Amino acid sequence: MLVDLQGPWSPLLGRLALSQIPYENPILAPLFVVVAIMGIAIIAALSYYGKWGYLWREWLTTVDHKKIGIMYIIIGLVMLFRGFMDGLMIRTQQAMAVGPDAAGYMGALHGYLTPYHFGQIYSAHGVIMILLAATPLLVGIMNVIVPIQVGARDMAYPYLNAVGLWITAAAAVLVMASLFVGDFSHNGWFGIAPIFELPYSPGVGVDYWMWVMQLAALGSTLGSINILATIVKMRAPGMTWLRLPIFTWASLATNIIALTSFPALTVALALIGFDRYLGTHFFTAGLGGNLMLYTDLFWLWGHPEVYFVILPAFGMLSEIIPTFSEKPLFGYVTMVLATFGIAGVSWAVWLHHFFTMGAGPDVISFFSVATMLVGIPTGVKVFNWAFTMYRGRLRFETPMLWSIGSLFLLLVGGLTGMMLAFPAINYMVHNSVFVIAHFHSMLLMIVYAIFGAVTYWWPKIFGFKLNEAWGKAVFWLFTAGTVGVFVPMYTLGFMGMTRRLDYVFNTQWQLLLDVQMLGIAFYSLSVLAFLGLLYVSIRDRAKSRVSHDAWGTTHSVEWMTPSPVPFYNFAVVPHINARDEWSWRKEHGFTDLRPDHYEDIHMPKNTGIPLILGVLTFLLGFGLTWRIWWLCALSLALIIAVVIIRSFDADTGYIIPADEVERMERAHHDRAQAAVELPQAGVPGGVTAYGQGNKPAAKGEVGAPGSGISSPEGSRA
Amino acid sequence: MSSSTSKALDPSSVELWDHSHHHHDVISTRTFGFWLYMLSDAMIFAVLFAAWEVLSYSHSFAAGPTPASFVEPGYVFLQTLALFTSVLAYGFTMVALKNGNKAGVISGLWGALILGVAFLALDINDVVHLVGMGITPDLSGGLSAFFILTQTHALHILFGLLWMLVMLVQVSRFGFSADVVGRLLSLRLFWHFQAVVWVFVFVFVYLRGMLI
Amino acid sequence: MSHDNPLQHPEVQVASGRGYLLTFLISTLLMGVSLLLVANHAMAPFGLMLVLSLCAGLAVIVQIYFLMHMDLSEAHIWNTVALVLTIPLFILAIGLTAWMFSTLYERTMVMLPTMHGMAGMVH
Ligand code: HEM
Ligand SMILES: [Cu+2]
Repeated sequence: MLVDLQGPWSPLLGRLALSQIPYENPILAPLFVVVAIMGIAIIAALSYYGKWGYLWREWLTTVDHKKIGIMYIIIGLVMLFRGFMDGLMIRTQQAMAVGPDAAGYMGALHGYLTPYHFGQIYSAHGVIMILLAATPLLVGIMNVIVPIQVGARDMAYPYLNAVGLWITAAAAVLVMASLFVGDFSHNGWFGIAPIFELPYSPGVGVDYWMWVMQLAALGSTLGSINILATIVKMRAPGMTWLRLPIFTWASLATNIIALTSFPALTVALALIGFDRYLGTHFFTAGLGGNLMLYTDLFWLWGHPEVYFVILPAFGMLSEIIPTFSEKPLFGYVTMVLATFGIAGVSWAVWLHHFFTMGAGPDVISFFSVATMLVGIPTGVKVFNWAFTMYRGRLRFETPMLWSIGSLFLLLVGGLTGMMLAFPAINYMVHNSVFVIAHFHSMLLMIVYAIFGAVTYWWPKIFGFKLNEAWGKAVFWLFTAGTVGVFVPMYTLGFMGMTRRLDYVFNTQWQLLLDVQMLGIAFYSLSVLAFLGLLYVSIRDRAKSRVSHDAWGTTHSVEWMTPSPVPFYNFAVVPHINARDEWSWRKEHGFTDLRPDHYEDIHMPKNTGIPLILGVLTFLLGFGLTWRIWWLCALSLALIIAVVIIRSFDADTGYIIPADEVERMERAHHDRAQAAVELPQAGVPGGVTAYGQGNKPAAKGEVGAPGSGISSPEGSRA
Repeated sequence: MSSSTSKALDPSSVELWDHSHHHHDVISTRTFGFWLYMLSDAMIFAVLFAAWEVLSYSHSFAAGPTPASFVEPGYVFLQTLALFTSVLAYGFTMVALKNGNKAGVISGLWGALILGVAFLALDINDVVHLVGMGITPDLSGGLSAFFILTQTHALHILFGLLWMLVMLVQVSRFGFSADVVGRLLSLRLFWHFQAVVWVFVFVFVYLRGMLI
Repeated sequence: MSHDNPLQHPEVQVASGRGYLLTFLISTLLMGVSLLLVANHAMAPFGLMLVLSLCAGLAVIVQIYFLMHMDLSEAHIWNTVALVLTIPLFILAIGLTAWMFSTLYERTMVMLPTMHGMAGMVH
């Protein structure tokens, strides 16, 4: 029943052959050398400094939600860089290949990328940015913050958490492997029926795409179960639903979306798989298949997915804006309701991605109206943030700058989304770069929020702040890039430029395409500035140490434990008395974070099994892509065996005795005291907006220059 | 609400740190997570049913055989009986568990396992029979949807049977530890859930298929 | 509390042989009735599908209540909440898909009258 392949296949290597390695490609071959050298350098450095044991013990086998979160974020940042490089290549090609007289290089008729290569780049760009950059970054931040915010010592299922991480890593490695072995899909990130069917895409590209997406979906589903169970089952005593920090609410809503929508992607992709491997006719053009069914199933996941990525970003803004407005969040309950409203409506709008399919007018009207309805809860949120800032004591530190940038992008993206929701407009601009500009506004809104959140929670995780001056430089360079690239893109969309052009026929668009190159140049500078930011901040970390309440005006539970957070999060689980518990404690003078007693702590043991599962999953994905059947069977059998064997291990935790906890807590406390003494760091005591009096360590008027807030220029912009 | 009053509270009346030494409930944390997974799995079936809905028009069968020409309702009802009795046997396993009756749990698991194998054997026999007649999923979109949907359910059954085997070993080896009990409860959700899915498969794929 | 003896856990204690037996009987009966109706072509397709859906729905409700123990008790409330939150999504996913494709088929004229199982009423 297996399909006939075009091209060679052998039982041992499947479709793999030496000719599949693009060693002649002028871009990939040097890149491969660079990656190989970097890999060797890292291995050598690890061996030289004898860090293998450390890496294994502290990272590869960890089940600590914070470290797992950090690894998610690292994967996300690396993939963000890879995706950015793809974007840069797309932009360069379009700027170079304008008009019939445009020169061609490296085998291309115009520009420097052949259409086939160009198609792979934009496909990889989309897949990577959505599933392997934005998603891991958000999942990572939720992983780090949610358990602490609900006052738990770990996730509900720490082991499963690690499994999710390593499956996501397997997906990332698989997409990188497609660079150097074989090729990638050229069907765009969402796939186009029936071009992805075997007769039209006979290579392994579509298979790579399919399995990368499939693995990423699996990782996200596992992660969502974990976060949901953590929020429902692991809340500290007193943490009632209406006291739940707002970011946790957002995480709850977003993971409900993930849990229920990723299966649609799984099915859509699996059905392509059946078509390509077994010769079924789900999405074929003939024999009773239905092309549009694929588009339907894909967007059945695809639209909820875009809300899956945006809701955590909303949650981040809702944490950052109050902190730097020195006011509690305006309209907590409406915020929660709006979050769930968005999550609910996001399930009834997906047809707006294929208004042009040809469904009946009542169907189209229904989905159009449903899409516009999303604007209401989104508007509620925007007003809530605005009212939070209104008459607040605004401090324009880096996280706040990112948040405000994020708000502007939300407005632009939301309003253009509303335009797209009109079928009459949509028929005009569908598949034009106007759509591209719309969703990049949205996704960049998320990236802004992520950068804000990373800057905001960085001191919590690492115990020192990122450098303010460099952080602001990154922000402004990045913003220059955003404006430079996307304002011209909206314009080009209105001028009729369609998406995914490897050759631009209209020479009048050259100027705007060149302006976009300028934007890309700013983006590139911001990448360099980001590296500079990391370098400078880590170098100067001794000067920017903070104690638990890094920004002085924070409000939720995660700021009630030392920075960096000890691996057990809380020596004694806090009892929650109020929404914004930490503000409440500051207001009432309960700022001593030493608990009144100590107790034994039960923690999960490290285990190497998730990593092993990740490696096996990668092998499975690789085997399926290349149709190496024995490898598939072997890795699948091993996965099942490993899972079963692990289930026989009854001894998966250990106890830290109370006196040991007390000793560690003392050490943390002393370090925190030292941090407070440093002139440029620590607690400025800025809780004024929450209430008066009894603030510890208040050194002066909040926000006044020299009040101890650690930004080099003082805290007020 | 984070109160806006700033009146001093008596520190001795406020509970800041948890004194209850609360141990969170390991078993229901586990079963809740598993239930979430089941719902996600249910969505897989829901989407497959959506695909079946779109691909079960008569033109979806490309003038080839439709379920009306090959589904034998009596045979499928036999499968229904096998599965429902297996589910019943697992129910009695749970009753034995409630009474702490280890022998009862083990024989109940065996019962559920054997009846499950019977279901699977009937299913496999059916597929082999159809393929023998030249009715395969690559004939038409409609048949693709028919086979993939029914066999996805069968795959779940296979998985459940494997799990039962593991639990048979674990019950005899570890007795009723919290881990084992938690797993038995999760397996209950899983197994009973297959009955729910089967109702839809039976009615909306096999029986409705007979009308196409 | 339950954590001392796992067998005292409410989710173990909820097991009931009576309920399981009842479910078995009811769902077998309902499936049998559906089978007979279809085998005997007892009704026109549209009415038949309505009755079949009713039987399936009833069987599933019985199973969800007695087998999965979905109720409002403290031990099961969160499972029930999760289920109640997701059921509308199943309905949206299947229902809206069915709706959009039925109009699509009509407008692209691939659907011949009375051929679709559900669509005895078309034409
Ligand atoms: C106010 C809310 C929004 C509305 C009304 C809206 C509306 C739309 C519409 C109608 C389209 C289809 C355009 C076309 O292809 O013709 C679209 C595309 C898209 N939107 Fe939105 N959208 C909204 C929010 C978002 C958000 C929050 C995100 C992501 C975080 C997002 C990401 C996307 C993406 C990725 C696409 C196109 C994908 C592709 O074709 O490759 N949108 N949006
Ligand atoms: Cu959408």
